[in-house]
Amino acid sequence: MTNDTTADRWAPIRTGGRLSAHLRTHLTVLLIVVVAELIGTITFPLGPGQVVLLPLLYAVVLGLVLSYSVLGSLFEPLRRVVDEDVSRIASPLLVIALMPLGVKYGTLVAPSFYDLVAAGPAFVLQEFGNLGTILIALPLALLLGLKRESIGAAVSIAREPTLGVITDKYGIESPEGRGVLGTYMTGTVLGTVFFGLLGGFAPATGLHPLALSMACGMGSASMMTACSTSLAAAVGGAGVAEDQILSFAATSNLLTGITGLYMVILVGLPVITRLYAVLAPVLGRGAAATDGGE
Amino acid sequence: MRSSHPYSAAVPPRPTEVSEMSMSTPEFSVESLKMLLVVAFLTLTANLLATGTGFLAALPGMALIVLIGLVALLMGRLIPLDLPAFAYAMILAFALALPFSPVQAPFLAAVGKVDFLATTTPILAYAGLSIGLQTGKMKEVSWKLVLVAVFVFFGTFFGSALISQAVLSAQGII
Repeated sequence: MTNDTTADRWAPIRTGGRLSAHLRTHLTVLLIVVVAELIGTITFPLGPGQVVLLPLLYAVVLGLVLSYSVLGSLFEPLRRVVDEDVSRIASPLLVIALMPLGVKYGTLVAPSFYDLVAAGPAFVLQEFGNLGTILIALPLALLLGLKRESIGAAVSIAREPTLGVITDKYGIESPEGRGVLGTYMTGTVLGTVFFGLLGGFAPATGLHPLALSMACGMGSASMMTACSTSLAAAVGGAGVAEDQILSFAATSNLLTGITGLYMVILVGLPVITRLYAVLAPVLGRGAAATDGGE
Repeated sequence: MRSSHPYSAAVPPRPTEVSEMSMSTPEFSVESLKMLLVVAFLTLTANLLATGTGFLAALPGMALIVLIGLVALLMGRLIPLDLPAFAYAMILAFALALPFSPVQAPFLAAVGKVDFLATTTPILAYAGLSIGLQTGKMKEVSWKLVLVAVFVFFGTFFGSALISQAVLSAQGII
């Protein structure tokens, strides 16, 4: 099964028979890149923190806005150029475009190798910080009147491994499946912008930039990048070198990529199902909060 | 048990044509290399606009990046470890850039000509375009689930940050 899904997912990178769609895709990206880089980085203070707007944030917003299902659905001429095939090609291209960034992260991580080893215990223990989602989001979900959806929605930040575990265990059409898909979709559509803004603002909490940079690694390369680059820009080398912030975030992200699946299966799910059984009768609307209500 | 492809839930399957059929490894290598060259051009453009570094000055570093990228993509495809190609690219570059690596200095000098932020812009442009595939599905997500997701984001971020803060202070690192 794995071979087939991998192959299907890569099929759009084939140029044979879709040269026109490829040209339109890459020229659109070129246009977005040029516009985003010409605007450049904009930083301004807001309240106690800073707003950091990087070219990568303009790029994700421009890409989404130009796509066939957003502005394209309103303007026929745009949809003829930036059509659904463009989005289909862009999807595996995202993985390929990550290669230069991966190499850059590797070169940043190597010089701070000894710092990273010294911080080993913090790296391992902060993986449990992902359980913060359960403590904060589960009560809120119950107060909003959600039932078993809240298990899927609040169990973790729901990147691909979580999506796989929940849909495997409960089915994508189950309440839990709807919940996990909600968090997954919200992360996909809003995550980069959200964490880009949060990364710039987070130093205002008084937490140390290194602790914040570890928190940026949560299993999604784009979210981690938006979060850590904004954080590095906001800190501006004061106390902690920008490269160190980036390398701590990348290492934490790599670690989450490796442990995330087991974290959900062995810790996240057992904790949230027990907590749900305790909290649902208390916080849930409709008193008994019976299963499969919706 | 493996997570299915992220978009498989959101995108209805299309009728199978020749261009949709699965790829052999040699074909995958050739097509990936073409796409890596496209990405290299886009990154060099972003690099020029962001830092003023010309194409020629950054070319050796970019050539190394393309080479490592190709190996990483193949590792991601062939090694049955559920690690993304991004992780392999990072690990390969990490190994080459370690203090005791014989090629550390020339490798870092070449790759250093490519700006970090410049590599991020093309990625997010492709990401934005590909999110277009999912906006239809997003309309089915109720505002309550979006609100819960935002709390999930805050929860995982500050949960990790608080633990890191505590452990790093206990170790005397910060």
